Amino acid sequence: MSDEEHHFEAKADAGASKTYPQQAGTIRKNGYIVIKNRPCKVVEVSTSKTGKHGHAKCHFVGIDIFNGKKFEDIVPSSHNCDVPHVNRTDYQLIDISEDGFVSLLTESGGTKDDLRLPTDENLLGQIKDGFAEGKDLVVSVMSAMGEEQICALKDIGPKN
Amino acid sequence: MEGQQYQGELLAYLQSTMRAIEAACTSIQMHTNPAAAEATILSLSRSPQPYKACKFIMENSQLANARFQAAGALRDAAIREWSFLSSDDRNNLINFCLNFVFQHAGSPEGYVQAKVSSVAAQLLKRGWLEFSVSEKERFFYQVNQAILGSHGLQVQFVSINFLESLVSEFSPTTSSAMGLPREFIEQCRKSIELDYLKVFYCWTRDAALGVAARIIESDSGTDEVKVCTAALRFMLQIMTWEFRYSSNSVKNINIFSDAIRPDNTLLNRTECIVVQPGPAWREVLLSSGHAIWLVKLYSALRQKFSRDGFWIDCPIAVAARKVILQFCSLAGTVFPSDGGRLHEHHLLQLLSGVIKWIDPPDAVSKEIESGKSSSELLDGCRALYAMATVTTPSTFDKLLKSMRPYGTLMLFSNLMCEVLKVLMTKESDEETWSWEARDILLDTWTAILTTSSGSSENATLPPEGVHAAASVFLLIVESELKGACASVFNDDSASDYLHASISAMDERLASYALIARAATDVTVPLLTSLFNDRLSRLHQGRGIVDPTETMEELYSLLLLIGHVIADEGEGETPLVPNAIQRHFLDYVEAEKHPVVVLSSSVIRFAEQSLDPEARSSIFSPRLMEAIIWFLARWALSYLMSPEEYKEANHDSGLGSTNQIQSYGSKGIILKFFSEYGNGKTVLDIIVRVCATTLLSYPGENFLQGLTCCQLLHALVRQKNICVHLVELESWRDLGHTFANEKILFMLNASHQKSLAQTFILSTAGVKNSDTANQYVRNVTSHMTTYLAELCDKRDLRSIAEQPDIILLVTCLLERLRGAAGACEPRIQKSLYEMGLSVLKAILVLLEIYKHESAVVYLLLKFVVDWVDGQITHLEAQETSIVVDFCMRLLQLYSSLNIGKISLSTSSALLSDAETDKCKDLRALLQLLSGLCSKDLVDFSSDSSDTPTTNISQVVFYGLHIVTPLISLELLKYPKLCHDYFSLLSHMLEVYPEMVGQLNGEAFTRVLQTLDFGLHHQDVDVVSMCLRALKALASYHYKETTCGRPGLGSQASSGSHPTGELKGGILSQFLRSLLHLLLFENYSSDLVGVAADALFPLILCEQGLYQTLGNELIQGQVNPNFRSRLSNAFYALTSANQLSSTLDRINCQRFRKNLTAFLIEVRGFMRTM
Repeated sequence: MSDEEHHFEAKADAGASKTYPQQAGTIRKNGYIVIKNRPCKVVEVSTSKTGKHGHAKCHFVGIDIFNGKKFEDIVPSSHNCDVPHVNRTDYQLIDISEDGFVSLLTESGGTKDDLRLPTDENLLGQIKDGFAEGKDLVVSVMSAMGEEQICALKDIGPKN
Repeated sequence: MEGQQYQGELLAYLQSTMRAIEAACTSIQMHTNPAAAEATILSLSRSPQPYKACKFIMENSQLANARFQAAGALRDAAIREWSFLSSDDRNNLINFCLNFVFQHAGSPEGYVQAKVSSVAAQLLKRGWLEFSVSEKERFFYQVNQAILGSHGLQVQFVSINFLESLVSEFSPTTSSAMGLPREFIEQCRKSIELDYLKVFYCWTRDAALGVAARIIESDSGTDEVKVCTAALRFMLQIMTWEFRYSSNSVKNINIFSDAIRPDNTLLNRTECIVVQPGPAWREVLLSSGHAIWLVKLYSALRQKFSRDGFWIDCPIAVAARKVILQFCSLAGTVFPSDGGRLHEHHLLQLLSGVIKWIDPPDAVSKEIESGKSSSELLDGCRALYAMATVTTPSTFDKLLKSMRPYGTLMLFSNLMCEVLKVLMTKESDEETWSWEARDILLDTWTAILTTSSGSSENATLPPEGVHAAASVFLLIVESELKGACASVFNDDSASDYLHASISAMDERLASYALIARAATDVTVPLLTSLFNDRLSRLHQGRGIVDPTETMEELYSLLLLIGHVIADEGEGETPLVPNAIQRHFLDYVEAEKHPVVVLSSSVIRFAEQSLDPEARSSIFSPRLMEAIIWFLARWALSYLMSPEEYKEANHDSGLGSTNQIQSYGSKGIILKFFSEYGNGKTVLDIIVRVCATTLLSYPGENFLQGLTCCQLLHALVRQKNICVHLVELESWRDLGHTFANEKILFMLNASHQKSLAQTFILSTAGVKNSDTANQYVRNVTSHMTTYLAELCDKRDLRSIAEQPDIILLVTCLLERLRGAAGACEPRIQKSLYEMGLSVLKAILVLLEIYKHESAVVYLLLKFVVDWVDGQITHLEAQETSIVVDFCMRLLQLYSSLNIGKISLSTSSALLSDAETDKCKDLRALLQLLSGLCSKDLVDFSSDSSDTPTTNISQVVFYGLHIVTPLISLELLKYPKLCHDYFSLLSHMLEVYPEMVGQLNGEAFTRVLQTLDFGLHHQDVDVVSMCLRALKALASYHYKETTCGRPGLGSQASSGSHPTGELKGGILSQFLRSLLHLLLFENYSSDLVGVAADALFPLILCEQGLYQTLGNELIQGQVNPNFRSRLSNAFYALTSANQLSSTLDRINCQRFRKNLTAFLIEVRGFMRTM
């Protein structure tokens, strides 16, 4: 069965599994789901039947949490879907380098310098402007299935 | 010389205006710079006294559009300046319009004529109460002459059109806005209804009589047809007038109209307006042979044009049929109280004409199938519907008997059968005439049957009717089954049909059920045999043939049976339907009672689903849905009904024959399914079927939803069922599975919530309150324990983000919500403990899941639901624990979210994040409102010496925390906006004294919000703000007159914290409220509330008010307006003996004054 294969795959990545199996019928709007191997946020769920007297199936519309692309999938509702393990960590923003990388302060006191700024002009503007104004910024970094990205920004008062 | 020069200048001016308007009209049409063109046209209507220019353009312009705009400008200006115009001017304007219409009657630009005649009508209405009778007579003399036809057909036509626009101007629903009070409209309406409508009607009737004769005689005559159509349309308009004043009082209505039940409309798809004009109209409508003339006219025309197939849909034919329909709907005191003879005679005359449209049904339907228009048949159905609405079933049936060997019901049921047959031959889903005819005829059945089985017992269906109902129902079932078979493989529509089927089809099924109940002796056994037949077919074909078609047939049958034998229980416990109670009186043995037999068949069938092998071969999820739906509906009426006990008492105590007769049939059924009969067995079956759908149909959300939200809820709603439910082994098993097995965590989370609620509600059946509380603890302990343990884990932060943990937490929170929402005083204690034990966990989880909006929302919602159920019962100490917790929650939420910006490339995800925020904030506001209710309702038993929490202080503090999170962007969400302002205005209204104690920042924020709300678009929001303002100003005024500080230093002028000379906040509000009232757009509903707020503001800030008033008066250039304004200001504060106290009477006086003030000055203040 494909379900078990997935399960096996997830187990193989010991400790921090990338995805978990979950019954399709229990996945709700605003939850997460893997469609076409991309982690997505579910923005729409509808159910229908395979034939009038058949079993229920779920129709998901998901938006890729990293690149904003739209995906759709249809799964029998008693089957399992993959749900991505979405992790979010807050870091204080220390610096923005000229080559498009940020420098972040980790909880343990070290720095994390491998994260690129978003390429989208608008988002980039919001981060740069806030930083340029001298605000004390905390960024939330979202990671799932081996990818990471800044997903939120929080102003925790003026820089001292 | 001078005069001539003046004339010349004037002419030049008029011509240049005309050219400007013409140019503007052209540019609008060509769509070149429309904004500027509109401004030009607007400037004409806004300029003072533009009448000369308007008239000039209307008479001289070659451009129809310009004439149209000029008429509009004339109207706007005249309405605005009406009160300054002399009575001669007013008369002249109306006369000008009327003459213009008559003179240009033949003009090809009909829309200009229509506009001008509607302008005349509007001006006439504006002056209606001021014109003397002789003035009105003078206008109408001209119109009458025109209608009589003395100026030719075209003038006749336009004059009828003028009357049409006049009458529609006087009907409140169709009148154009003139900014006049309701009383004015009501007086106009009364005057025209009592004095003119009948006169107008007679004029047009005579006109119609004249031209109709000519139409029938001659071959040509398009103009005559036009006039006749207009006349018929006008007659129709009068026949649809909502008569109020001429139909006397309600007491005088005779027996005939008693049969009319307005509540029918709930079920009906077809509109039927009952016309009740009152005795004054008897002569005109009934005695003069008017109806028969109409019918004959239609028949004659029909005969004459029988060659043209399209004629049926011509305007004149449509209008004539509609007038006939309205005649069918005549009722009330227009008929004398002669036992209904005249009414019967009247209907008979109409029926003699209408019958040609529908009889014989098979021939008519064949004609339609071969291309004839169906509108005549449909109107025929509507006529039957109207007649059925205004008569009793037996009178309705009798009508036809004088013409035919059979009654109307017979014809009616034949017609219905024919329609159903046509419907069955059609495979397509698109709406055809037979659909529409079926719907109208179903409504007719409803009209007939609800009058008979409803309130009046003596009006029963005649035997022919019962027979007709039985044969119609037979065909209905046949067509439904056929439809079911045909639709099985329509996969594409399956998904919408699925959800629509049970709820939206209800309406149609309800009418079917009414018909079936009219002939229960036949229909119930019929349903039983059909059901059993399909069942055996299903069993025989097991494993051999595809069962889908039979399943679908069973599905339809289950829906039908459910509707026939039980009523819907929305909101209250339904009784066994009357029709079933009254029939089957001769059955003594319960086992043979047809309803028992039918119910038992279905229940036995449901029981078969427990067998896994049968489940896989003869049950489908969809079939289970119908079964669950049926069981839910059925159980409410029949299972262990509390009625049964009452009846037992009745029988033993009184034992009168009458009671045995009326309760006999019902008693037998209820006894059969009572706790002493088979009730417990059936209940056990139902519980096990529920467990099956929850455990053995994974992922079937809809089915499980039905089980949790409908069937189980229906069971626990009744205490006497709960008593047995909690004793059942199967119920205990289900509870055990719920708490311990993983499989029920696979249910949709909201169903888990509903399930938890169900378990808690079932404690109503536990006798002892200690045991009930223990039961609650048993049900909820797994939720609280798990959450508490989870929060104690050291690696919580890392495991919390795993999807399986998130799922589990979500499910547990939903379950907790369900339990919290089922709070009853008896089990309040254990539910309080339940909440208390997770408070710490909630704060921990709120922090951990700050990025997981779905979990955050559930956490907040749980607290809201829990506090809502608990707050009124809590003792002082408990209250302070809960309140403390709520404040910590608010602070934590705020610290986690304030200043947070979500970043995403996807706009959908961004707007989702926004929506989530909005939902969270609403939950927080609901929490605060929940806390507020502690001050209003309090069941705690505390003595006064325990220190109590000051709720108002707490809520203001809470608002102070929440308000910064609510941005102007978020206030665009209407629900959030509404919640926010209703909480705020509630707080300000109930606790104005708290406002003075707020610190500067909080204080300014509250006031800014109020100011924002005052200019909001939503009327509710504005009125809430006005109420808050009233409360603040009144409080301040009352306090300061007693020498206390009131709202304190911030309120009074001059000492604003910013130090500027802006005056106090009350003076700012006075300024902005006055500005709002005089210059801005707002709904007239707000004037009353605004008056209540303005009055105390004026009292608080009298000096400023004087200054503002003077400024406004000085600002007026026009001396006429200036004196009007200053008089109006004077009257505002002095008319009606207004004094400076804030009591009720004074406020009412000020309301009146303000309304008068605004009517007087707003017109010119806004436009000048």
